Amino acid sequence: MDKIITKAGDIKRIPLFIQGLDDVMEGGIPEGHITLICGSAGTMKSSVCFNSIYNEATTKGRIAVYFTLEQSYSSLLNHVINMGYDLTKINVLLINDLSNITASITQLKSSKKGTIIFIDLGCIRKEIKDAKIATTANAGWLNVMKNIVKKVKADMGLDMVVIDSLSALYVLGKFENPRIELFYVFEFLREMNVTSFLISEMPLDGSRYSEYGVEDFLCDGIIYIRLSQFRRAVVREISIVKMRSTSVKTDIFSLEFKGGRFYALYGGQNPLL
Amino acid sequence: MNKITFAFKSMTGQKSGRLEEKWNYDTRSLLLSGPVVEDIDNDGKNEIVFGTRNGQVLSISMEGDLKWAYNAQESHSEMELMFLDAETSNSISSSPNIGDINNDGHKEIVFGTESGRLFVLDNKGKPLWNYLTEGPIRGTPFIQKFANNQSGILFGSTDKHLYFLNSKGQLLWKYNANSEIGSTPALIVSKRPMIVFGSNDGVLHALDIKGAPLWTFKTGDKILAQPTYNILAQGSDPVIIVGSTDGVLYCLTEQGNLVWSYETEGAICSKANVADINSDGKKEIVFGSCDNSVYAIDMDGKKLWSYETDFWVVAMPIIADVDGDGRIEIVAGSYDHNIYILDSAGSYMIDYVPGVSGIVAQTGQYGEAITSGPGKTQGKKIWQYKTEGVVVGCAYLHNGKNIIVNTESGKVNNLVHKID
Repeated sequence: MDKIITKAGDIKRIPLFIQGLDDVMEGGIPEGHITLICGSAGTMKSSVCFNSIYNEATTKGRIAVYFTLEQSYSSLLNHVINMGYDLTKINVLLINDLSNITASITQLKSSKKGTIIFIDLGCIRKEIKDAKIATTANAGWLNVMKNIVKKVKADMGLDMVVIDSLSALYVLGKFENPRIELFYVFEFLREMNVTSFLISEMPLDGSRYSEYGVEDFLCDGIIYIRLSQFRRAVVREISIVKMRSTSVKTDIFSLEFKGGRFYALYGGQNPLL
Repeated sequence: MNKITFAFKSMTGQKSGRLEEKWNYDTRSLLLSGPVVEDIDNDGKNEIVFGTRNGQVLSISMEGDLKWAYNAQESHSEMELMFLDAETSNSISSSPNIGDINNDGHKEIVFGTESGRLFVLDNKGKPLWNYLTEGPIRGTPFIQKFANNQSGILFGSTDKHLYFLNSKGQLLWKYNANSEIGSTPALIVSKRPMIVFGSNDGVLHALDIKGAPLWTFKTGDKILAQPTYNILAQGSDPVIIVGSTDGVLYCLTEQGNLVWSYETEGAICSKANVADINSDGKKEIVFGSCDNSVYAIDMDGKKLWSYETDFWVVAMPIIADVDGDGRIEIVAGSYDHNIYILDSAGSYMIDYVPGVSGIVAQTGQYGEAITSGPGKTQGKKIWQYKTEGVVVGCAYLHNGKNIIVNTESGKVNNLVHKID
C-alpha cells in the first residue's frame, strides 16, 4: 500500500538542477510526478531533462531511462558531452537492439553508480523492420516502451523516465483513440511510480501545451520553455505553468546555460540587456 | 419456509427464498467473459466451459471440479515479447462456442485469442486445428450448420476481416470491413440468409453467405454486441436488434432500415435478450447498459421498466424462471459485483396521491389535464447476491436452475435459488 503523506515536508522532490527555479517550487518536482516539458524547437527541452536525470544519477545514484524517438543516441550523446556533462561519472547504457536487453541490464545490476539507459527507438525500429516483426492491434511500440520500463524497474529499480518526444511517440504508436490511449500511458507511468518527463513539441501558435490537449490535464506538472525576441536578441524563457502538490511562483524567468549549469534569472522582471 | 408456504406465496404472487452459493471455483487468473454450460462429452452431465485472461480454456463439472484445461498461450522470442502486453497477449476475451462442427457425433469447442488464433478443441480439450489471423479475436466465433450437416465458423478479427472457415479450418472467404471487428457475428436464417456483424467504426454490416455486402447501417460508436434476430409478435416482420457503444439500441428491418431506436446514457456492450416476459403474446427486449441499468422495452421501443444497479451492466441479462414458480425473472450481472434477480413485470409506482398533490398543482387550464397514468413501472429487485468481483458473464442451466457466474477476479460461482 502507498504510504500516505501526512505533512508537506514528507514529499520527496526531484530537482531540475536549474538554479533559481528549484527554489520557487519547494526544491523540485514531487517524486513520481509526470511533468510535461513543453516548448517549440530549439528551446533546450531535451537538455533540461537530461540535466535533471544526469545530476540525480551523479549525486544520488539514481537510475533513469531516456527514450529517444527523434534524435539518434549518438547525436544526443555528442550534444550533452559538448555541453560539458562528464559521462564517466555515471553508467551509460545504450540499447539499440531488443534481443540483448536482458544481458545488457544484467551487466549493471550490481553497480552502485547512477545509470542512464538510452533507448534509441529509431534504431530499434529499423532493426525490427529488417526482422519483419509485425505490429498489430496488441503488439506495438507502446508495449515496447512499457516492457522496457517494467524490465528496468524489476531488474534495477528505475527512478526516472524521459520520453523524447510525445509527438514522435504519437507517430510511432499510431494511436487510434489518442485520448484513451494517453490515459493508459499516464496510468502506467503512475503505477510504475517513476518520475517522468514527457517532452512535448508545442504548436507554433502556442495555443496549447500538447498535441491533444488532454495531456495538460493528465500530467501533474507543466514546465514551459519559449524563445522570446528582445530587440535583436533571442532569449529562452522558462516558467512553471502547473505543479501539483507544490507551491510555485509562476513568474517567467530567463533560462541560461553557463559553465555547465542552468540558471533561471530575473523572475518576473525585465532583464537589463 | 415449508413447501406449503412457498406454494401459497407463489399463488399470491409473493416471492420467497434467497440466492445461495453452491460452490465456487478459483481459476487463479482474471476472467473477461462468461461461461457456456453444455454437456460437451455426452455423459448426461453438463460441463462449464470458459476462457481465462492468461490464455487457458477450462472445463469444470457441475460439482465444481476441474475436468480439463487447455493452454492456448503462444511462445515468443525475447524480441517479440517486448512488443506484447504480457498481461493480455494471451487473453481469451469472449466466451467459447460449442457445436459438432465436423459431424462426428462429438462436440467441439471453438474460441479465439488475443494473439489472433482461432482454436478448435475436441470435447476432452485436445487441439484439433487452429487458424491464425493478423489481429486479436475478441468476439465469440459463430458456428453455422449447413443442410449437408457440415459446419462453418464465422468470426471477426481486429485485423479488420470477417473470416468464414469450413469445419477443417480452411478459409472459405474473408471480408474486409475496413475497421477492426471486436464483436460476435450472427447468421440470420430467413428467406435470404445473411450474416450480420458490427465493427469498431460503428457500422453494422450485412453480407450474403458468400461474403458479398448487402447493406450497412451506421451507428455513432463501436459495435461490440452480437445482433439479435427475432420475430417480436405473431404476424410481424422479423427485426434485427443491436446495441452500440454510442448508448443506443437499434431495431432494424432485414433490409437495414431503422424501425426504432432507444437511447440509454451508457454504452451497450452485449447482446439483447428477447422473450415474452409479461405473457402479453408479444416479445420484449431486455438488455444492459453502461449507464448502470437493465432495461426492458416493448416491441415498439417503449420502455416498460429499468432497474439501476451501482455500476455498468455489461453481461447479457438472462431470462429464466429462477425459483420455479412458473413466472420468469431477469438475471442481471453488474460490474458492481452483484447478481440481481429482477421481477420481469417490474412494479408500478404511483408518482403522487390523486386529490392531494394533484389538486395543489391544478391551474384550471385545459392543458393541465392529466393525460398519462398517475405513475410508472419501475424495475423491481427480488433477490441480490454479492460476488467477489465484477460480473463479466453468466449462464443459466434450466434443468438444475443453476446460475453460473464468472467474475473478473477469477471466480466461477454456482448460485441456486433456495427456500428454507
